[in-house]
Amino acid sequence: MKLSRMAWRNVWRNSRRSWVTICAMSIGLLVMIEYAGLVRGYLQQMERQILEVEIGDVQIHAKGYRDDPSLFIRMSDSDAVVTALEAAGFKVSPRLLGAGLAAAADNSSGAMLLGLDPKRDAAVSKVSQMVAKGQWLDATKPGEAVIGRWLARTLELTVGGEIVVLSQAADGSTANEVYKIRGILGSVGHGIDRGGVFLTSDAFRELMSLPKGAHRIIVRIPTDMSLSQAELALKPLAAGHEVKTWKALLPVLAQMFEATQGAMTIMFLIIFVAVGIVLLNTMLMAVFERVQEIGILKALGFSPFSVLRLIFIESGIQTAISVAIGVLLSIPATWYMTEHGLEMGPEGGISLQGVALARVWYAAPSVDTLLLPIFVLLFVIFFAVLYPAVKAAVIRPVEAIRHR
Amino acid sequence: MSTATASGPIVALKNVTKTYQQGAIEVHALRGLDLVIEPGEFTAISGPSGSGKSTALNLIGGLDTPTGGSVQVEGHDLGALGRKALSDLRRDRIGFVFQAYNLVPVLTAAENAEMVLALQGVDDKTRRAKVTALLDQVGLQGLADRRPDELSGGQQQRVAIARAIAAQPAIVLADEPTANVDSATAEMLLDLMERLNQDLGVTFLFSTHDPRVMARAKRLINLVDGKVDSDERRDG
Ligand SMILES: Nc1ncnc2c1ncn2[C@@H]1O[C@H](COP(=O)(O)OP(=O)(O)OP(=O)(O)O)[C@@H](O)[C@H]1O
Ligand SMILES: [Mg+2]
Repeated sequence: MKLSRMAWRNVWRNSRRSWVTICAMSIGLLVMIEYAGLVRGYLQQMERQILEVEIGDVQIHAKGYRDDPSLFIRMSDSDAVVTALEAAGFKVSPRLLGAGLAAAADNSSGAMLLGLDPKRDAAVSKVSQMVAKGQWLDATKPGEAVIGRWLARTLELTVGGEIVVLSQAADGSTANEVYKIRGILGSVGHGIDRGGVFLTSDAFRELMSLPKGAHRIIVRIPTDMSLSQAELALKPLAAGHEVKTWKALLPVLAQMFEATQGAMTIMFLIIFVAVGIVLLNTMLMAVFERVQEIGILKALGFSPFSVLRLIFIESGIQTAISVAIGVLLSIPATWYMTEHGLEMGPEGGISLQGVALARVWYAAPSVDTLLLPIFVLLFVIFFAVLYPAVKAAVIRPVEAIRHR
Repeated sequence: MSTATASGPIVALKNVTKTYQQGAIEVHALRGLDLVIEPGEFTAISGPSGSGKSTALNLIGGLDTPTGGSVQVEGHDLGALGRKALSDLRRDRIGFVFQAYNLVPVLTAAENAEMVLALQGVDDKTRRAKVTALLDQVGLQGLADRRPDELSGGQQQRVAIARAIAAQPAIVLADEPTANVDSATAEMLLDLMERLNQDLGVTFLFSTHDPRVMARAKRLINLVDGKVDSDERRDG
């Protein structure tokens, strides 16, 4: 008699109990596959927002700028630094930063002024691709500006309209210029949405009377380079300036990323311990109600190892069915989570360190988010079954036969 | 499996004692049992409840170890055998019929009957042929594919007997094989065992409470307090 055939029939002896076990295991697996996909998606989403929109991988500032973001604290050798970094294989974009007032007709609002090289910046930041109406800046048209969407709404501006920008220039004079709206951005991030006014570097210099230099250099690193490697490589190239990775710039967010991964581990543990207990209970019951039967098998010549295998095969059958069901169900579920996402944050959203946290989590399934839950499940099941299996293997025929 | 003494007794118990520890109390199940079973015997062990019948059969079957004395099966001292050798001896030389829960409920009559052969590694074809013949011999023609719960108690015990004799063991040990069936069925099982004993020379050693079953034995050993109280042979 084939052990596997016997095991298969044993599983369906108490089919209701087996199905309950299979359901618990499948649902546990399904939840974990979805959760892993969502967490991966969320982290990717957040990382993309931070790396591609808000920060970049690394930022370089003049020493002291971040404590006191003044027009005067800038890197006057920025051109040389940019050349050195580009020669070393980094993508960089120097930015000029300033604060001012934006006005149109009867409305005015605080504004965050950014001066940049439209082409260079497009290589390090996705902001250029987030223009909802109109077009991104053109270096040859210094008289045009791209602005954030809430600012556009506040000022009741549309593409082609005129915006007046007021500030204090570096030479102490009043900066005052009119720009034509070239583009209005879509949702980028709180700061830019509310007050972002993007100008070409030339326009910014003109407006603020700044001959050269930059306040910030945004750096994107090659994909095969780690953040810490990049930091080490960048420091000598930007000697005298402050080189900070996004993790150092946004320590709270970086910590939250790790906490999210930790939370996933804890959730894995809780769900799988629960699933393990269900299976442990099922197999213990299956062993205890069959003490005589197993005792007689052993009296007839079944080795302890054969009994151990029998119990493992029985659990294995239930596990295989659970994995099949769990994975099958995860296909439509993952599709839904990828397309529609899951609302996790409150209406309006939360922002942490100026970065808006994703309110809707979209799944980003991968081979890992599928296989990891399966492997963890198998691992937990192995240990859950070990005890009942050993218990069955060491049953002594004499005692089993007396046991009634 | 080689037989150490081809013409010697199948079973030889010498001054066997078995003491169970039940908490602080020592239960003396056997107190110096001497017993010899020769090939071809059809022997019943009787005795009041607790007299040590099951204990004796378990020791002969190598399922348990004695506290003192020696148990020999076909000349092999069971106490001197390793676990593997003991388990092989059990599988190859001893047939077991238990009182209840004899059969694996998820296996058919044929699958139950061929269990020991399968454990011996006998190939599928030989096994199938052997089991078909065996089920005929025990009167279960046409019931090969029934599960135990589709068989009567008597039919179930017939399957157990078929399984016990399938590998042509030296002896079949049966602990109260008729205890769970009605007396008519018990008579029929006895008929079967008797026929197997006479026609095929299968040696039987069984325990019973039932006077009618005792009456059918060719040798009746009565145990009292873990010792042989009487040992009577009939027919010759
Ligand atoms: N595993 C055990 N632990 C403790 N005591 C035991 C054990 N097995 C048997 N005994 C005791 O040993 C004695 C003999 O038991 P045994 O089962 O051999 O009697 P028996 O003649 O088969 O009785 P019955 O006719 O009721 O089946 C009894 O007193 C019994 O309670
Ligand atoms: Mg008994």
